[in-house]
Amino acid sequence: MRGLIRGMETVPGKPGRDLRADVFRGIALWFILIDHIPGNWLGKLTLRNVALCDATEAFVLLAGYAAGLAYGAALDRRGWTFSAAALLRRLGTLYVAHVFLFVVFTAQVGYSAAALESPAYLDEMHLDVFGEQPYLALLQALLLRFQPAFLDILPLYIVLLLMLVPALPLLRRPWLLMGLSGAGYVVVRLLDLNLPNWTGGGWFFNPLAWQVLFFTGALLGYAPRRRGPAPAVPFRPLLIGAAVVALVLGLGVVLVGDYGEQWLAALPQPVAELLATIDKTGLHPFRLISILALAYLVGHAVPRGAQWLRSRAAAPFVLMGQHGLPVFCAGIFLAFLGRLALEMDDRWPMQLAVNLAGLAALVSIGVVGAWYRMRERGEAPHNATNPAPVGLRAPVGSTTTVT
Amino acid sequence: MTLGAGRVLLLLGLLLASPATRAGGMACDSPPELLASHAALPATARAASAGSLRILVVGSASVLGPGTSGPGAAWPARLEALIRARVPHLALEVVTRGARGLTTAETGAIIAAELARAPFNLVLWQVGTAEAVRGLDLDEMVEQVNEGLARIVAAGADTVLMDQQFSRFMRANANVDAYRDALRLTAAAHGVPVLRRWDLMQAWAEADTVDIERAGRQEKVAATDKLNDCLAQAMQALIRDGVAEARGRPGQR
Repeated sequence: MRGLIRGMETVPGKPGRDLRADVFRGIALWFILIDHIPGNWLGKLTLRNVALCDATEAFVLLAGYAAGLAYGAALDRRGWTFSAAALLRRLGTLYVAHVFLFVVFTAQVGYSAAALESPAYLDEMHLDVFGEQPYLALLQALLLRFQPAFLDILPLYIVLLLMLVPALPLLRRPWLLMGLSGAGYVVVRLLDLNLPNWTGGGWFFNPLAWQVLFFTGALLGYAPRRRGPAPAVPFRPLLIGAAVVALVLGLGVVLVGDYGEQWLAALPQPVAELLATIDKTGLHPFRLISILALAYLVGHAVPRGAQWLRSRAAAPFVLMGQHGLPVFCAGIFLAFLGRLALEMDDRWPMQLAVNLAGLAALVSIGVVGAWYRMRERGEAPHNATNPAPVGLRAPVGSTTTVT
Repeated sequence: MTLGAGRVLLLLGLLLASPATRAGGMACDSPPELLASHAALPATARAASAGSLRILVVGSASVLGPGTSGPGAAWPARLEALIRARVPHLALEVVTRGARGLTTAETGAIIAAELARAPFNLVLWQVGTAEAVRGLDLDEMVEQVNEGLARIVAAGADTVLMDQQFSRFMRANANVDAYRDALRLTAAAHGVPVLRRWDLMQAWAEADTVDIERAGRQEKVAATDKLNDCLAQAMQALIRDGVAEARGRPGQR
């Protein structure tokens, strides 16, 4: 399995691929699958139980990182027009994947209502917006204005990549991009702006706020002209201390929220209300600080060349991370199956089966993706006469499979 | 006044034994921690001591007891009967308002209208189902709950919130956990007890006490009746705990 991993061998003098981003992305993808299956016992062991952020934040940060790395490199080598076109192509794939998953979702709702012998549920719970107004629901889904439960990350990802198209050249002016992105985040939070949702209110994940995390990742991943590794945030004892404090405080808030919420009443009312309204929709500053602190600490705790990144145990996650898009989409689809399975039976044999099968499926998608990519390249290395598959991939490096 | 004191003693003696220690499977063998109020219900305690208690029950469809054998089997009606049976001298009035698919904003408006019409000592507010099921705006729900709770406090009444019903179908098809967590934290920030219907119903389903989703077609009505009765018992236990808390828990903890 390890033979399939890109960037396994370190070439002296070249920065090489940062396997840390891959492995943590793989883990985040696995956590997203777990967290998308309510009632899954493993859901008690994921990041959200110990930190104010969860796999969504990690995924968006690392998606930004991968996008900065791949499209930043494309920008430097082929210019903005080409890299924008590559981004749009990726967007198209994501959009089609989302529409497919939407169709799967509507089928799942109908099937599971029938399986529980309670079609009355559909009506009683108003889940059947699709049944009430199918044509309108379809239109709204295509406009990304109708996002059923658990189908909210892909639309976020799509809009984030769309924002990156005009912002690509700004990767070369990190302070300007960070300033604009941060100012946008503050304005959006202060004015309570969000993209509209058909069923009322805004998107579950507000892209206008989440972009700040995505662009942070993009700037961290962008290595100007590939001269060296992407610039890391330097090691500063004070910053390390602050990050530790932020995470410990975050752990405290999570534990109080999960196990001792009655203690909130003992706090002054404004503090209690603040802690009770740490929203995920608009990426509350506490959540943003939490993921950035975590990334900073992990980035310094795990060196680039850490041996375990190349170990047998890490290999499945590295492969998942290197083929993030198919693994992510498959994960959303697998979550449907997992939810249906746990709806039928949620005792331990089924829990075990769902989790083993889920992880195995994600890993095999990573393995197949890596194998296919390797064969594809092995059969047509540096082939100028066959520009169709190589045209995009060769210069962009890891674009198509990373983001 | 002497009568009131006697009644209080009766209430205390009868009602304050902790649910867990009570023999005979109190509240359908609910996990005791789910019957703890973690907050005081002072207005309810005062009203009970004074001998008259007015309760307002507001929510979406479930307060009307859909799928039960009749209106008398809905949990608010069962709660009224349980309190009457236990404290016969109490002048008790229970007003129930609700309709299918009402959002938090709509039930909040009903509460405001009812409180303007007549005073109540205790408001039992079932919230969050419509939002979770239809994927409505989470922040909007929290804001409405905040406003509603402030309004009830201003009217001098206590509140107990009730969260979503447990359902495997809902769990598989709607993002309920996000709404449940928001509700729990919002209530906690206000020091308001929550009857955690989701957790209770899940515990009952796992213990085979009552599980309407797994009940056969013939047993469905009986199971729904039992569920409503169990909910009423759990609500009664929670209210008693809140009243005890308000009275400083003589002889407890």
